[in-house]
Parts: sequence; C-alpha cells; structure tokens
Amino acid sequence: MPCRPLLAATLALMAAVGCNTPETHVRRSSLMDYLYPKEKAAPVPNPAGARLKLPLKLGIAFVPGGNASWRVQNLLAPGQEKQLLDVVKQSFKDRPWISEIKPVPSAYLRSSGGFENMDQVARMYGVDVMALVSVDQVQNTDPRWYSFTYLSIVGAYVLPGDANDTNTLIDAAVYDVASHTFLLRAPGQSQVKGSSTWANREKQLREHSAKGLQLAMADLAKNLDAEVGAFKAEVARGERKDVDVVDRQGVSLRQSGGRNFGGSTSWIEVLGALVLLGFALRFRRA
Amino acid sequence: MDAFALTAEALREPWRLWTGHLVHFGWEHALANAVALAVPWILAPPGDRRRLALALLVLPPLLSLLLLPSLGASEYRGASGLACALWALVGLRLAGRQGSLPLGLLMLGGLLLKLGAETVLGRGFLLHPEGWRTLPAAHLWGALLGFASALPPRPRPHPA
Repeated sequence: MPCRPLLAATLALMAAVGCNTPETHVRRSSLMDYLYPKEKAAPVPNPAGARLKLPLKLGIAFVPGGNASWRVQNLLAPGQEKQLLDVVKQSFKDRPWISEIKPVPSAYLRSSGGFENMDQVARMYGVDVMALVSVDQVQNTDPRWYSFTYLSIVGAYVLPGDANDTNTLIDAAVYDVASHTFLLRAPGQSQVKGSSTWANREKQLREHSAKGLQLAMADLAKNLDAEVGAFKAEVARGERKDVDVVDRQGVSLRQSGGRNFGGSTSWIEVLGALVLLGFALRFRRA
Repeated sequence: MDAFALTAEALREPWRLWTGHLVHFGWEHALANAVALAVPWILAPPGDRRRLALALLVLPPLLSLLLLPSLGASEYRGASGLACALWALVGLRLAGRQGSLPLGLLMLGGLLLKLGAETVLGRGFLLHPEGWRTLPAAHLWGALLGFASALPPRPRPHPA
C-alpha cells in the first residue's frame, strides 16, 4: 500500500501544525519585591514593637507587580480593583475591632517602594495598619486531542479544543504602619476550569482571571477573619512579645489576657439573698 | 467565640440579645445567678408574676443594647444584670404594698449595697473569677430597667 506512508505523514503534519502547544500565562506581584527591594538591606522593625489601639483603621492595597502597578499592567480593570478590595471591606465592616477599611488604589504604590512608600500611602489615607495583598495567578491552556480541527478554520470557532485552568493564590500580609511590625498573614485561593474554542480563548482567560481573583478574595476574607482571631488569642496569651492590643477602654489585651465580661453574683451575695428569702418565708407563715 | 454570648455581632445575630443572659462562664457562675434570679421570683406578690414574666422577655434585649458600647471586642455572659432588674422590680413593688414594706426595703437596700460597692471598687464585690471580669454596668443598667418596669402603667382614660 504506497498510500499508507503518505497518509501517515499528512496526519503527522496536520497534528504538528494544527494542534496548539500548551501555553502558560503568569501574573505575579511579590510582597518581598515591594517591601524589601533586592538592592537594599531589609529595614529592622521598631524594637519597641507594635501597640495597636482598637478600633483600627485598616488600609488595603494590591502590591505592584514587576515594574508597574497592577492597573497599569492591565491585569485588573480600573473598576475591578476596588470591587475586589470591597469583598474584604464588606466582610469586616461589622467587626468591632475595625472602625474603617480604606481600599487604596494600587496606582499610589510604587514598584519596589518599600516601607517608605507604605508609610506615605498610610499617612495619606490616615490608616493604622496596612494589609498588602500580593497575587500569584497561573493560567494554563492545554490543547485537547481534537484541536487539530482548528486547521479547518470552522473548527477554531466551533469546537472547544482548549482546556483552560486558572489557579489563583492571594496572600494578604498585615503590617503596623508606625513600627513596621509584621502582624499576620492570610491566604486565599481559587481554581477555575473551563473549555474554549481557539477564537474565544483570550476572552475566556480574561473572564477566568477576573472570576479567579474574585473567588480567591472571598476565600481570603474568610481566612483573614480566622487569622485575626488566632492573632488576638496569641497576643492575649503573651506569645507575641512584639505586639500589644489596647481596647476601647484602654485595657491592654496582653495584661487582661483577653478576658471577657460577665454579669456576676458572688457567693456572699447569694448567701445574703437566701437568708433574706428564709426570713421572708418565715415571716409570711407567721 | 460562642454563638450565644453577647458580642457586637448581636447587631447581625439578634438572638444574642437574649441568649447572652442565658449562657455563663461555668456552672458556679450559672448557679449563683440562678439563685439571684429565683429569690425575687419567689418573693414577688402572686399578682405580679405576669409582670415579672413579661419583664424577663422584654428586658434582656434592652439591657443587651445598653451594654454593647461597653463590650468593645469582648463578649458578655450572665444573668446577673437581669437578676438586678428583678430585685429592683420586686423590691419596689413590695415596698409599695401594705405589709411588705420592710421586705421590699430590705431587697432594695441589698441591691443598692451591691451596686454601691461595685461602683466604688470598679469590679465585682468579693469575686475574682478566672478568665473574665465583672461588668458593673450590667447591674446598674439592670437595676434601672427594673425600677422602670415597676412603675404602674398609665391609667387608661375611661370612656365618657
């Protein structure tokens, strides 16, 4: 059969030309690159530690990725950044230890700005602590076996031959502005999967990117709440020597041990009440 | 954090306005408060029991709302604020009735002694619990609400 090698060669050529190769898009912003630029030595936090007076004013911002802010890099649409930060804001608006949450536009954060830039932004917004949010988003596109049909042009518009995965990891690190003390961190993650045609790939990747960030922010808000609880417990137990929290009444959490309030009756009072009851009942019978 | 204790979350989870007065920091705390609640209930004039039951239903959320600003990020548990309300209510009602004036005055005197001692000391009287602090404001607000509940209802105008 002389045709057989020819057919095999044609199919191999079609597969080589028609099939997509796997593609990976990475969007990353690093807290370390922002706060501790490589050319500088890491600044030492204030040895006196942080003294947080409740309720706190919290600023929250995406740290710049690479050499530009998130918005400039076109990773987040202008309206989306505020929308994402509002997810955290909504989750914490009723918390008694927070008086205000201010989303800070990433345009105000310089790439490799360090603590100096963080201080400037915090002063501008009048916040006590800053939550710096860094993002690591990886999008993989894997061709399915029938993606060779893209060669037919029609297939590129009709058959969903691309498997798209979007993995997002968001990390929020909270710093005390006055002392530059690291307070706590919380992660948030999400995974979005889908299929698309060749023609629709970029659109779907953009949509998945936005959806992945939204889901990861919601996860972050949940985790941040738990981490704040754990942080307060650590401070109350005296395990965080570098941090103290002072409540609205001016009582230090470290000194009070995080004690709660109770309506109490002492045993002396109980005894007095019972004696009174005894006398009253006897008096009534008489 | 307990789902029933009174915290600032009560604005979103309103059941806490009632349940905060039911949950306690241990059986000793609960028992002492139960006795403090039972004594005025037993001593109350039989005709006032309905008023007492109504007070036990209406006063907890009012007391809780008054306490919320003092709590900050902490939580509150205990029925002693309510107990103070009942002592004030029953004491005043007894003092206003013929034949039970001394008993009423004794109850009111005891209550005022407790409130006075706590105001001076700024904490619970002869009580040093582990892990929580007495909130004297709960007793003060409870007593004031109790006094207000003891006032006779405004007489209805008779139809002409």
